[in-house]
Amino acid sequence: MNIERRDIASAAVDVSSDATLTVPKPHRRGRRFRALRGNVLVLACQIAVLVVLLASWQFATANSALSAFLFGSPSAIWGFLVQMWKDGSLLTDTRITALETLLGFVGGNVLGTLVGLALWYSRFVSRVVQPFVVALGSIPIIALAPICIIWFGTGLVSKVAMATLSVVVVALITAYKGAMTVDVDQINLMRTLGASKGHIFRKLIIPASLGDIFAGLKLTVGFALIGAIIGEFMSSSEGLGHAIFKAGSLYIIPKVFAALVVTIALALCLTYVVGKIEKLLTPWRQH
Amino acid sequence: MADPTDPPLVVSNLKKIFGEETDNASEVIANISLSLGHGEIVSVVGPSGCGKSTLLNLLCGLTPRTAGEIFWYGGTSTGMPKRAGYMLQKDLLLPWRTALKNVTLGLEIHNVPSGERIKRARQLLDTIGLNGFHDYYPSALSGGMRQRVALARTLANEPEVLLLDEPFAALDFQTKLVLENDMARLVRSQRRSLLLITHDVEEAVSLSDRVVVLTHRPARIRAIHEINIDVDRTDMMAARESPYFTEYIRSIWSELEVQRRT
Repeated sequence: MNIERRDIASAAVDVSSDATLTVPKPHRRGRRFRALRGNVLVLACQIAVLVVLLASWQFATANSALSAFLFGSPSAIWGFLVQMWKDGSLLTDTRITALETLLGFVGGNVLGTLVGLALWYSRFVSRVVQPFVVALGSIPIIALAPICIIWFGTGLVSKVAMATLSVVVVALITAYKGAMTVDVDQINLMRTLGASKGHIFRKLIIPASLGDIFAGLKLTVGFALIGAIIGEFMSSSEGLGHAIFKAGSLYIIPKVFAALVVTIALALCLTYVVGKIEKLLTPWRQH
Repeated sequence: MADPTDPPLVVSNLKKIFGEETDNASEVIANISLSLGHGEIVSVVGPSGCGKSTLLNLLCGLTPRTAGEIFWYGGTSTGMPKRAGYMLQKDLLLPWRTALKNVTLGLEIHNVPSGERIKRARQLLDTIGLNGFHDYYPSALSGGMRQRVALARTLANEPEVLLLDEPFAALDFQTKLVLENDMARLVRSQRRSLLLITHDVEEAVSLSDRVVVLTHRPARIRAIHEINIDVDRTDMMAARESPYFTEYIRSIWSELEVQRRT
């Protein structure tokens, strides 16, 4: 509201400044301009860092200070990106990895969040389950890959299973933590309003946990992608992990980097989408 | 079981010990008896940390008592009766709900139909001076406004008894005075009963019919003052200007002071 109010105030000043030229410029505009300038400056520095890195990499490999065979070079990576785009493998590999990641991400988060929130209901059950959750969380996901391949085959399902497994425990723990850290006074207030446990769960615990749940979502986007790629490493015929693994085995280092660049871009896209959804679903929070 | 002619709340020989079975049991409330009549405003004041908030939690049934009896309308119910409302220093508004939706919370819980509860909430917010702010999120409201919304939420269930724990302690003096006036007006005009826990002696005297002074922990009743100030009791400034006001303040202060030295 403060912001809106100031906007109204500054708008009012704007009107009057048309009439009398002596009125000083509203502060609000100045502040907004400074914030924008700050953002532009950060972006410019980020681009500068990237350019310097790439340029020195290119320069070093071109002058044989670095082996182009072992380290690739930005221009060679770009060449492979163009080639992968032209032969269509870029799109198909990205699509399949994105699908695996997305299905695992959604599946793991839905499952983990539901169980994590449900554990709020019973202190007893949550105490019983606790060591199992810790045990599951401590298993290195890569150790499960061979089993996943044996159980679910070399196709899509085994990668989705890997992505799901990478996500589910983190989702469970963040949702449970969110539910358990709700203010006791808040719960007491609901009780004095006559709320049943179901009311408290629906009207307080779930919305109050959304902050933690979304923090978990942002974290697990990357985990889901890692799970899918590990699955593809183990056994697959398509996907970005498959492309990385194949190029690596053939010592085509620039192609490895090219597929990595695409993977990073995919991760950034997915994170961006999750951030957008968070803003949409939790409009009361100041992002 | 409950008789409407019975006083809304009677407490007799209430006692609370935390961690009873353990070695470091701490007695918070030694023995408290008090009563709250229809349309009465009673304040409980005491030195800080004397167990005032514990008393309120015992009355609401949020904390189990060690000994003693609590009679709501003559009946011994455990927990909070439907006809009572409760409000704390923290506004405890749900940040994901607008002011209006925060007020309708209790009505939703009691399955009041949607149209009816929105109508009632709008009316309440307007009478409490928040017209125009119905659709604001709590994060966009000032402390005083938030506490007004909390008051409206408490009143939305049309409680006959209000239990308030330092509801205005976090507000600045002017806002506090205005809210006290509003509160007095709302409670007195509808003959509601109010039990107010506070550390603010001036607030207690200007607002109440009776002030109960507690001792240090473990809390007992030190004194009970009937407040007879011959002015409009919904005007906090008028109460403060009354010649009797300072006398009450002085004697209650002295009761609190003496304990501080002992």
